[in-house]
Amino acid sequence: MIDLKLSDPHFKWEIMKKEGGEGLLKCFGCSDCAASCPVRYFDERYNPRKIIRLTLLGMKEMVLSSPFLWFCAHCHACTERCPQGIKVAELINAIKNYAVEKGYCPEGYKMQLELLMKMGRLYEVEDFDLKKRQRLGLPPIDKTIPDVAKIIESTHILKVLKK
Amino acid sequence: MANVGVFICHCGVNIASKVDVKRVVDTLKVMPEVGFAHEYKFMCSSPGQELIRKAIRENKINRVVVAACSPRMHLPTFQTALATEGLNPYLVSMANIREQCSWVTDDPEKATQKAIDLVARQIKRVVHQDPLDDINVPMTKAALVIGGGIAGIQAALDIADGNRKVILVEKSPSIGGRMAQLDETFPTLDCSQCILTPKMVEAAQHPNVEIRVNSEVKKVDGYVGNFEVTVERKATYVDAQKCIGCSICQEKCPVKIVPDAFNAGLSTRAAIAIPFPQAVPAIPVIDPDYCRKLTEDKCGVCAKVCPAEAVVFDDTPKQDTINVGAIVVATGYREMDPGIYTEYGGNKFPDVVTGLQFERLVSSTGPTGGDLKRPSDGKVPKTVVFVQCVGSRDESKAHAYCSGICCMYTAKHTMLYKHHVPDGQAYVSYIDVRAPGKTYEEFVRRAIEEEDARYLRGRVAKIRRLQNGLYRVYTEDTLVGRAVHIDADMVVLASAVEPQRDAVRLAQMLGIAYDADGFYTEAHPKLKPVETASAGVFLAGACQGPKDIPASVQQGSAAASKVLSLFAKDTLIISPQIAVVDPTACTGCLTCSYVCHYTAIEEKEFGQRRVAEIISGKCQGCGACVATCKGKAITLAGFSDDEIYEEIVSCK
Repeated sequence: MIDLKLSDPHFKWEIMKKEGGEGLLKCFGCSDCAASCPVRYFDERYNPRKIIRLTLLGMKEMVLSSPFLWFCAHCHACTERCPQGIKVAELINAIKNYAVEKGYCPEGYKMQLELLMKMGRLYEVEDFDLKKRQRLGLPPIDKTIPDVAKIIESTHILKVLKK
Repeated sequence: MANVGVFICHCGVNIASKVDVKRVVDTLKVMPEVGFAHEYKFMCSSPGQELIRKAIRENKINRVVVAACSPRMHLPTFQTALATEGLNPYLVSMANIREQCSWVTDDPEKATQKAIDLVARQIKRVVHQDPLDDINVPMTKAALVIGGGIAGIQAALDIADGNRKVILVEKSPSIGGRMAQLDETFPTLDCSQCILTPKMVEAAQHPNVEIRVNSEVKKVDGYVGNFEVTVERKATYVDAQKCIGCSICQEKCPVKIVPDAFNAGLSTRAAIAIPFPQAVPAIPVIDPDYCRKLTEDKCGVCAKVCPAEAVVFDDTPKQDTINVGAIVVATGYREMDPGIYTEYGGNKFPDVVTGLQFERLVSSTGPTGGDLKRPSDGKVPKTVVFVQCVGSRDESKAHAYCSGICCMYTAKHTMLYKHHVPDGQAYVSYIDVRAPGKTYEEFVRRAIEEEDARYLRGRVAKIRRLQNGLYRVYTEDTLVGRAVHIDADMVVLASAVEPQRDAVRLAQMLGIAYDADGFYTEAHPKLKPVETASAGVFLAGACQGPKDIPASVQQGSAAASKVLSLFAKDTLIISPQIAVVDPTACTGCLTCSYVCHYTAIEEKEFGQRRVAEIISGKCQGCGACVATCKGKAITLAGFSDDEIYEEIVSCK
């Protein structure tokens, strides 16, 4: 049961202020986005229409804490077909960015960021891998790529996560 | 000696909440020109008008200034008040202290100052206003109706029944329009042809109606009451006077590959053909792009078999000019080409058809003789998906507007389908069902409850053609919140209603406005629904916006009543505020005639010289000639130099 007493009337305006969130109010709920979405063929619990609807209703906590928010594969099929011209994938992105700012970032993403900061890659290069490369006659590769950490530091993500 | 009465309106709180009306009165009543000044809550009300009339009677005022709303709203009201007291109606002037002052000024002090200024200027101006008399011009009491669909036919019949001549111009070979292509009509399911053809025949037989098919309007000159319209009849290569409509030519013509526009491109016909069995007139037309005689100078079979010797291969387009007093525009709509919807396979998949094509597929005069078969293999479709809002409510690909008729015709389609294929299943994919007309909602419920149409709320994402010849329709049932797919034999797209391709060209010819989509704009969305910005030009039917049959017929009748009330007057009364030439000052340079937008200036003899003359019926009082005249020989009545000058110099 949705208790509309818990709805936050400012939520939709805050999302609309974010880059990509502009078209939110235009949604008339035809669900072409959901019907076009390839992710839904694997997991129907992901439904962009419902995310947009709950955002319009101001159900902030429900939207931001939902694990399905993070299922979007950014294929942009929804954006292509939305009759109201909403950039749906960008809108989902805007909600994700907002979620991270409010401390709703899934642990997995934080861990990925840590790995990238530490090694510059998500999978550790072990001695076993280097030996295999040697056997194939390939040159060894660096275990860490320090450039990546510098690039990450130049963005706002670390500051946002610390908040 | 001018004695001005000044009346300041509160307009409820519209003016009085910003403008201190008492102060305006007190400030202005000391002006030497002013003999009487008063304020009142609603000047346009009967007691408000009585104030003016009483002041004319008792205070002997002979000029009036009303400070209220725009003169467009209420100038005629106050002019009538003057006229009933025997004062010339052109001795009133209005100061707009609502739209141009109180509504647009936040600061009450500034608003009051501005109001005083605006009214003072009109007081200075009105002193110099001259009495003017309305001008009477003769008019031609015959009408032109452009477009022979149901709206045009209705307008023509109503005008003709009002005992006025009507010329009905239709560009295709028959009147009847879109309605002739339909099978049955909502919300009563009566056969479209059965209710339309009596009207078509009535129009053809009516002594006051002249039908001109295969004809188009090429040029429009003149003005209300006196239009001169150039109409071109296309070359049809058949003498309409001789043809007896036996259709032997059509049977014998060997070129049977012409796409049949009447069947929405679903079949082909001969190069010489009557468009459809009930056509009015039932006279064939040769398609010059396909006829072998006209393209290769071979064949000529039609001429050989014609018992009436009616085929004329050397036919050429013919133009002539007709004189009418009013024009009704009823050019209708066309169905959007769904080709831009590649995700639906529009124009690509043979069994994905449009709403109009579905009408033809179930019609007894259609390509299948009324047995519903799908175009690709002639199979009877057991599952049909009707897709709503294709091109409508889609501002990113086509149109933001709702086409208005699709919800209803789709409900009708599901019923017709069930009647043709009782064991078939119809699905409708919709965003919202819009059924606001009389008995419309009940009609949709009947489709769902009695005819087993399954309505799925959600827009179709894509349609794929499967190996087995079926079409997989991917959509969503938002009421369940689950993705849905349907394997259908056939898909019907409710393609959007669009204006005709040449709608804008005609609008420019007629001098009428059109919106961003190309639909013609009425003079007022609520109060002047069939009038246009051009006097004497009226609108009927879907050329003004998407419309179903009942609404088109209503508008046809409404436009006809406007034409008849225009013709009910003996002569046309036009505003005297037009340009006047002083022939003694005119040098005859005629520069004015070059700048005149309305071709209202001609040359005339004046003693030994030639001078300019204004044709009063054509002049619209724009003042372009006045500004151009180097010798100051032209004045605009009601806008003389004295009036304008006083208004400007009194401006603080």
